[in-house]
Amino acid sequence: MNELGQVAVPEDGIENKEQMIDQLMNEYGDGILHLVYTYVKNETTAEDLTQEIFIKCYERLSQFNGKASIKTWAYRIACNHCKDYLRSWHYRKITLNEKIFGFTPSKSKEVEEEIITKDEETNLTSAVLALPIKYREPIFLHYYEELSLTEISKVTNININTIKTRLKRAKELLKEKLKEEV
Amino acid sequence: MNDSFFNLKNSMKKTVFKDLTFSEERKRAVKESIQQKQLYYWSEGTLISLFETIQYEAKNGFDISTHLFQKSDFTFQNNEGQLYTLLHLLENKGILTSKWIEEKKYYSLTAKGKKRLTAYKRGSSIQREYLKHLLEEASL
Repeated sequence: MNELGQVAVPEDGIENKEQMIDQLMNEYGDGILHLVYTYVKNETTAEDLTQEIFIKCYERLSQFNGKASIKTWAYRIACNHCKDYLRSWHYRKITLNEKIFGFTPSKSKEVEEEIITKDEETNLTSAVLALPIKYREPIFLHYYEELSLTEISKVTNININTIKTRLKRAKELLKEKLKEEV
Repeated sequence: MNDSFFNLKNSMKKTVFKDLTFSEERKRAVKESIQQKQLYYWSEGTLISLFETIQYEAKNGFDISTHLFQKSDFTFQNNEGQLYTLLHLLENKGILTSKWIEEKKYYSLTAKGKKRLTAYKRGSSIQREYLKHLLEEASL
């Protein structure tokens, strides 16, 4: 491992942690990036936040006790980080500016406009992305990520019954929305 | 309705996620941040001992760790790999430089590193702050 070919790295060595994050990024990089995108709907912001999320994972690696799967653990960090961002002063300032001045410093409007074509697929995607976060979240985690309700509860730290209710309501909203557009 | 949801995955993959991937560049950025944070892992004392060890004479990793043990610094006792990580980090910061001599890498302080050490020992509060800063960049 070192230049003299001497003793290798111990269990909790720094290199080990770095390797683990490397692996985590390779396996879940895209998955987490996509999850984050559903919260912020902006590619660059999603990439920035995903970077921050993996750094958080590194910092908390020592706290990971192996009880949940590492995927659930990482997704949970991602979910919380996104929600913190959405509650942040910075984000609120951006969305406020958009409302008042119709000014979009980000790419989100362009991306959303590209999505709005008459294609059925894009209708479904944009309908889901247009839902309020609390409905978008369980829909995405359940139908895209294919997580069970229990897993969703672990990732979002929301009561499982609340999730059931929100999923039901989300479906109703989507049904209405998609009917409108047909 | 369930059929529609069945399509959600494909639908999103073909639209918003089509070109959205966590690039190698971004992964590298994460690794760099992590390495910055690793500096925080070592103590001020260890860093100074390390500088002193190589200030007059270039030394290889093994000699450096031996010298540190002699100074009763056992940070790297079962952790040789971390010494090389630290050396690599300091090299990136321009504080030390390395060269290969007979298949072994020898490290020495750069002019910048020597300046920092002298100022630190003079008790310069600025240099103490710099060292702390070096170690605390992690907490950004």
